[in-house]
Amino acid sequence: MTSPTPDSQSSANQSANQSQALSKQNLPASPPLAPPATQPTERRLPGWRLWIPLLFQAALIIGVPAQDAYTMATGRLVTLQTAPVDPYDPLRGYYQILGYEISRVDRLKQLPGGEWLNQGIQGYVPEGNIYVVLEAPTVSKTNPPAVWQPVRVSLQRPTDLADNQVALKGQYDGWQIVYGLETYYMPEDRRQEVNQAITNTPQQAFVVEAKIDAQGNSVPVSLWVRDRNFRF
Amino acid sequence: MAASAPSPIGLNDMNSEQFRRQLRHESEQWWSEGLINADLYEKLADRYQFDRLEQDASHRFIMILMGLGAVLLGLAAITFVAANWQAWPRSFKVVLLLSCFLGVTVTGFYLWNRPEQQRHRRLGHGLLLLGALLLGANLGLVSQMFHQSGEVFELFLVWGLGMTAMAYGLRLTSLGVMAVGLVGLAYQMGFFSWFGGQDLAWTHLLIQHMPLVVSFLFVPLAYWCRSRVIFGLSAFIVAYSLFLNLIKTPSISGLSLTSGWLMAIAWLLPIALLWSYSRAMWQFSHLSAPVAQPGLTQPRMESDSFQAIARILALFLLSIVLYLFSFKGIWRVWGWFNSDLTNLIWHPLFDAMILSVFAGLGWLQIARQFQFQRRTTTAINSGLVALILLIVATVFVYYFEFTIIPLDNPAFVPIVNLVVFNILLFLFSMGLIRDGLALGDRPVFWAGMVLLILGIISRMLEYNTGLLLKSIVFGLCGVGIIAAGIWFERNAKPQSTRYLLKY
Repeated sequence: MTSPTPDSQSSANQSANQSQALSKQNLPASPPLAPPATQPTERRLPGWRLWIPLLFQAALIIGVPAQDAYTMATGRLVTLQTAPVDPYDPLRGYYQILGYEISRVDRLKQLPGGEWLNQGIQGYVPEGNIYVVLEAPTVSKTNPPAVWQPVRVSLQRPTDLADNQVALKGQYDGWQIVYGLETYYMPEDRRQEVNQAITNTPQQAFVVEAKIDAQGNSVPVSLWVRDRNFRF
Repeated sequence: MAASAPSPIGLNDMNSEQFRRQLRHESEQWWSEGLINADLYEKLADRYQFDRLEQDASHRFIMILMGLGAVLLGLAAITFVAANWQAWPRSFKVVLLLSCFLGVTVTGFYLWNRPEQQRHRRLGHGLLLLGALLLGANLGLVSQMFHQSGEVFELFLVWGLGMTAMAYGLRLTSLGVMAVGLVGLAYQMGFFSWFGGQDLAWTHLLIQHMPLVVSFLFVPLAYWCRSRVIFGLSAFIVAYSLFLNLIKTPSISGLSLTSGWLMAIAWLLPIALLWSYSRAMWQFSHLSAPVAQPGLTQPRMESDSFQAIARILALFLLSIVLYLFSFKGIWRVWGWFNSDLTNLIWHPLFDAMILSVFAGLGWLQIARQFQFQRRTTTAINSGLVALILLIVATVFVYYFEFTIIPLDNPAFVPIVNLVVFNILLFLFSMGLIRDGLALGDRPVFWAGMVLLILGIISRMLEYNTGLLLKSIVFGLCGVGIIAAGIWFERNAKPQSTRYLLKY
């Protein structure tokens, strides 16, 4: 180990100068085909760059139940008769798929306004929407509530409804009509109870209450199995 | 003392710590051997902060412990929430979810937004990614709580769109990549649930117009974030969704029929669009401006690499098309259709029209540059690609539109088409091989070889030849590959090239 002598010091300085000079040249750090490796993030971003997308995302989250909240607030309570979803076991477990009597094309064919369904539905549905008019039952309040009966079918939203009638909007999806009321997520702690109750019930005593607003949108409210009520 | 230059390596990077340890060890050796003097050692010690190595190690240890503790705390919180989930009222749950999501994202942003502190930046970045995941969790849980009967692809679509907004705002590549991935996944899932009828739900509309959505939403994001990954993914999704949507068009119009024009457009438009892609496509003014002289303008870095990515993807898709249609089996599958285009769904055709305008502009640009470059250096160039595309289009249109396909004859084989496609496949792979040899570009050479070998072996396996012939062919192919590899490494001089961008 030698103490720095004049000539070694100057050579060290020279090499230091050389290395400094080299580092001053703008040698590309990456091959010409690669874009600059770092993002331009040297400045702090203003706050609004976060808040505007964040508000948009929060709006998306809140927007999920928004339509349903409106329907729940302004809708009218009706009761629908369920029908087995398929001849075998309905899907149980984490969620239940509900089918309704009015989901079946066969049932709707028999109603006034539904004759054209006999010819096959494809191509005749301009916006995929079907409106089913439901009429209130004449019996007084019972437990479980009495079922509203479908009286007619139309392609446009009916404007001439009586006081005891309401129009429900559905969509044809290939083999049945879908109303947006088909999914019921079972609450974890009551799943056994609900499954048990459903198994031991004849189909007629299994009805669903829903709210329907003026546009025909619907949201499910509660499930009646015999006389027991499970809120959605 | 020399002025402290900015350290070239982040002081908190673990790799750099290893490097610094090694450097310290080595420089002490050099000093003792007399290779460097004390002054240089001092400068090195100062620049790489040898004295802080021990501190940094204990710091890292603390950070690991804290990370572990944080993970356990997180697990505790999640389990606590899961235990009480049913008992809480719905409004409380929504508030909890929203506040968790907002809290994480805001904290992440304010930590990330400090350019001078690397550690905070990383933590903030991680929190932002966690916030993006929480967005998805929020959407899923809220829709479950309110018994929404939507489809899974709608969830992914909305999630992806939300993440795109954040990626635009913060200019983060990681968020952008996740967003593209989610939207692509949503498209794939939504494609199968896109049934017929005039379905006007906005999510289904987005699926039908996915090529346009992706090209106008994610390609600008790729430029904004200067990310090749985002561009590559979105280019792939544009091509894939354009193709799939067009192929599905006839079947959901209520008729399972197609036509030669639709086949040609569906298979070839993505390739034509990708090949002609350039940054100039986004600027319409170049049409009236004087044509740039080659050599005088330096295209910008990111547009160069984007164009290269687009062209590589185009060649990849072209090789798939050529390979697929060189099989005689596939002509039977597509031979069941004839042409009858009443009651067509117009959405994918609208996309195809818009994108073909862009492709046309791109090809126009290429044609104008052609005037200045007499000699082409690469075999695979725009002229060859254009020629191949034209030939394939002609074959499709002629075969599907103007010939009567005898469907009841199982032995029917369209010989002309097969010959044409096999010749094109052969020429294309030879072109790739030749370019690889000429430019010393290894991946290109091997791509050509692979295509050639695949073609030979497929033909051999497809037509029932004797086992002896098969063994001879396999042997020749094996020997050929080995010989080509050795010859290539010995003779070709590898250079970094701007392959595919000459012309």
